[in-house]
Amino acid sequence: MSHKIQVHKQSFSLDPTGAIFWEEKSCLLLSDVHLGKVSHFRKYGAAVPKHAIHKNYLLMDKLVETYQPFEICFLGDLFHSSLNREWVLFENWVARTPAKITLITGNHDIIGPEKFESLEIEQLEECVTEEFLLTHHPEEREGFFNLCGHIHPAVRLQGFGRQRLKLPCFFKTENQMILPAFGEFTGNHVLKPKELDEIFVIAEQQVIQI
Amino acid sequence: MTQKELFHIAQDWFQQQGWKPFPFQKETWKAFLTGKHGLLNAPTGSGKTYALWFPIVLNYIKQNPDYKNKHKKGLKAIWITPLRALSQEIKQSAERITEDLGSQMTVGIRTGDTSTKERAKQRTAMPDLLITTPESLQLLLSSKDYKKIFKNCSAIVVDEWHELLGTKRGIQMELGLSRLKTISSDLRIWGISATIGNLEQARQVLLGPTSPELENSVMVRANLQKKITVKSIIPKTMETFPWRGHLGLHLLDEVVPIINNSKTTLLFTNTRSQCEIWFQKILEKYPEFAGEMAMHHGSVNKETRLWVEQAIRNESLKAVICTSSLDLGVDFAPVETVIQIGGPKGVARFLQRAGRSGHRPGKESVIHFLPTHAMELIEASALQVAVKENAVEDRLPYLNSYDVLLQYLTTLAVSDGFYPDEIHPEIQQTFCYQGITEEQWQWLLNFLVMGSQSLSSYDEYKKVEVEADGKFKVNNRGLAMRHRFQIGTIVGDATISVRYQKGGYIGSIEEYFISKLTQGDVFTFAGRNLEFIRMKGMQAHVRNSNKKTNKVPSWMGGRLSFSAQMSELLRQELYKAPPPNPLPKGKGKLISEELKALQPIFDKQRQESIVPKPDEFLIETFKTRDGYHHIFYPFEGRAVHEAMSSLLSYRISLLSPITASLAFNDYGFEMLSDKPIDIQAVLDNDLFTTDYMLADLQKSLNSNEMARRKFRDIAVISGMVFTGYPEKGVKMKHLQSSSQLLFDVFRDYEPDNLLFQQAFTETFEHQLEEGRLRLALERIAQQNIIWKNCEKPTPFSFPIITDRLREKLSSEKLADRIKRMTKILMK
Repeated sequence: MSHKIQVHKQSFSLDPTGAIFWEEKSCLLLSDVHLGKVSHFRKYGAAVPKHAIHKNYLLMDKLVETYQPFEICFLGDLFHSSLNREWVLFENWVARTPAKITLITGNHDIIGPEKFESLEIEQLEECVTEEFLLTHHPEEREGFFNLCGHIHPAVRLQGFGRQRLKLPCFFKTENQMILPAFGEFTGNHVLKPKELDEIFVIAEQQVIQI
Repeated sequence: MTQKELFHIAQDWFQQQGWKPFPFQKETWKAFLTGKHGLLNAPTGSGKTYALWFPIVLNYIKQNPDYKNKHKKGLKAIWITPLRALSQEIKQSAERITEDLGSQMTVGIRTGDTSTKERAKQRTAMPDLLITTPESLQLLLSSKDYKKIFKNCSAIVVDEWHELLGTKRGIQMELGLSRLKTISSDLRIWGISATIGNLEQARQVLLGPTSPELENSVMVRANLQKKITVKSIIPKTMETFPWRGHLGLHLLDEVVPIINNSKTTLLFTNTRSQCEIWFQKILEKYPEFAGEMAMHHGSVNKETRLWVEQAIRNESLKAVICTSSLDLGVDFAPVETVIQIGGPKGVARFLQRAGRSGHRPGKESVIHFLPTHAMELIEASALQVAVKENAVEDRLPYLNSYDVLLQYLTTLAVSDGFYPDEIHPEIQQTFCYQGITEEQWQWLLNFLVMGSQSLSSYDEYKKVEVEADGKFKVNNRGLAMRHRFQIGTIVGDATISVRYQKGGYIGSIEEYFISKLTQGDVFTFAGRNLEFIRMKGMQAHVRNSNKKTNKVPSWMGGRLSFSAQMSELLRQELYKAPPPNPLPKGKGKLISEELKALQPIFDKQRQESIVPKPDEFLIETFKTRDGYHHIFYPFEGRAVHEAMSSLLSYRISLLSPITASLAFNDYGFEMLSDKPIDIQAVLDNDLFTTDYMLADLQKSLNSNEMARRKFRDIAVISGMVFTGYPEKGVKMKHLQSSSQLLFDVFRDYEPDNLLFQQAFTETFEHQLEEGRLRLALERIAQQNIIWKNCEKPTPFSFPIITDRLREKLSSEKLADRIKRMTKILMK
């Protein structure tokens, strides 16, 4: 179940997978997918279950089916490390996905640009659309609302009876929205919200504002 | 040379020292020289090193009659010690013999402290006698042509075997021995163990339960009777004595006369931070001890530790505050008195510490027990009985630890490679893997080679390769190097070394503590006040400071649980609790001083609740601003309480969804919730039944963190997570999160993976002690359940409800919980 918000009169659906669907632009935003991480581990002798490789592609397929986007924009860290054989799976996914794909490059994206070009994926340092600025690293720029990733944000909650929870979240400040990491098998980083920040946690299959 | 002549050599030597060999020493010499294997049961400081170094040297003399003129090169014996700090001492006693007998034999040490240069030298020319640790032995097995090194090794001695048994280092030893049995042509295997409950089993584990070595072995018992006196330090006024806490500083003043009346006193604390705090507080209040008092724990740098040990021997110190770092080895003759601060948790450990005093044969050992909170006085009383009855615990050995086996097989693949058909029978002879099936063995081999059970095209898994002739080998140098770095079975938190800016090394602290400091913060460590300057790599730079501080590093470390024996004794003591004042005539004699002193606490307890009798099982409930507390008192020891709380809360969650945090100590356990739990429903539904216990327990584990934590260690030991190069390293946080994530991935994709399964088995057998849980539930079934709804916390409940280290459990929908949570977000 997704959660809808409005920013600058534009509608965004926050999906429990960590993706955001920008309705007016029919654009699906995903950040920090870290594809190839499982293969990377295995290449270095750590026997992570190899079936886990497919999970991200299945999730992405489902998103495409639900939102039918014209465009898909990855906000960086699409691949975890250098090229490995998982690239073949990615190629397959791109081939069967009927949308324009853009990659805002992140610090982990070290795969050669020509590989992406061959799949007709546009690569950008950043992307400016009206008053929206799409980047990998969080940025503050006068007059823009920044959509970004990189942090893998999470928050801690506490309650009566010494209860504590740590949950991944969409972290919104006045002029910025940090997306949670989309990928299976990614860690997260706890942020401490200020008074006016809006937090949307991912709890099982729901997005809940707190 | 005949055995008689050899014995003469030894006896002459003893005579020259003005000593007389003990019967157990002679018995060991004889058994060794007739080619027997064995287990020697002797306490520290009894002359056990001479019991085994002697026959090793004599055996060499026997085989090389011209030993005084011609030296035969090569490794002849290995001495394994669990603590590298002890190796120096062992070397000295060996050298005394080799030199005095003119044997020309050399003695060397090889541990983590040995320099690379020294190691390289050893590789070309091994010393005759090598002192090393279980980890360093494994490292030798990972080097090329290791078989040559061990070919003529005639003996391996595993010292302090009781410390290794029941740990994964013990398994590492079992595996190492299984290999040496094959590659050393004339090997004798000996263990040395202090008294534990299962000595016979200890011998089986050492030698292999079905091995010819076990058949050809002996058990030698030193049987040195030692008188131990236990004295409790009883607070003068109970009214002001705290109900909780773990430091024991209230009784600091009582300790001073004890120190003054004795030549040297050792004060044992249970944690390193407690050690630091005691040291600091004594000096603050009694500055006259400055220079006469020192501190000794595992994180203090080696030079300081060695200095302290030497100073104890020189009698230049009045008191040393220490932790288990001084439990083993090292003969400290001048120690007259030992003080144990806080419950020692085990009888064997308590006896061992007591034995640190009055070290000379025939002398009496004196140990003072200092309770840190009121309830520990019951423990003090129980310890008195335990010592009288010598009620020592068993050390439970592991079974089927696949992680250690995978590490070992990789080790062999890294050195010369191995053929499964050669190694399989060796493994089957060990205690740990005696029940390994053909399928499991094949599974492990597949896992090593493919990282799974089947091949697939896009997979790039790389570790062990199978060569054309069927040899399993690691050919990638990077992989081999990473594996060597990670050999070992102790998975600790990452440590940061603490240094002065100019480079002076002070000690090491867990990363967790350092990460909370900001520049300019002052903390106490190694008895000094230090100001934090900056982090540099894996080092923290500091300078001395005069500022006062109450920041003391904490070291996590495991919390120990009462053994079954100790729990039983504790219950028996509690049942003796005196009835409300005044004491009936004639009854006073049966009650210990400790229990009498507790009278005001018992009275207070009775105001709100009861002091349970043998046929009663107590449950207390009350509300505080923390939430709704539900406290159960089985008095069965921490481990059983952990299991029971997990089981019970799972069963309660079946009645209605709950979220609770669980805390436990040796007396009972608590379920703290944001809603009251219907205790009547718990009783009506017979939730303490043993029916379906195992299945319920298993399901309960899915909802908490226990198996997860076990899996973290398994993932590291089996080589699935790389902890990084020393001093450089992947940050521990990263490791934490990657093994956390790994657990989820395995649960979702490969729940039948043997390593994943192992996490659960270990939790059952080693953490929760399933067998004891069943007995405890059976006992509760015979008792009347007394449920007291209290107005406020009782003295019995206090130590539990204030415990911050908790398990979490929830069967509610996350969304429902979030709605009830405050909007306060915390760091």
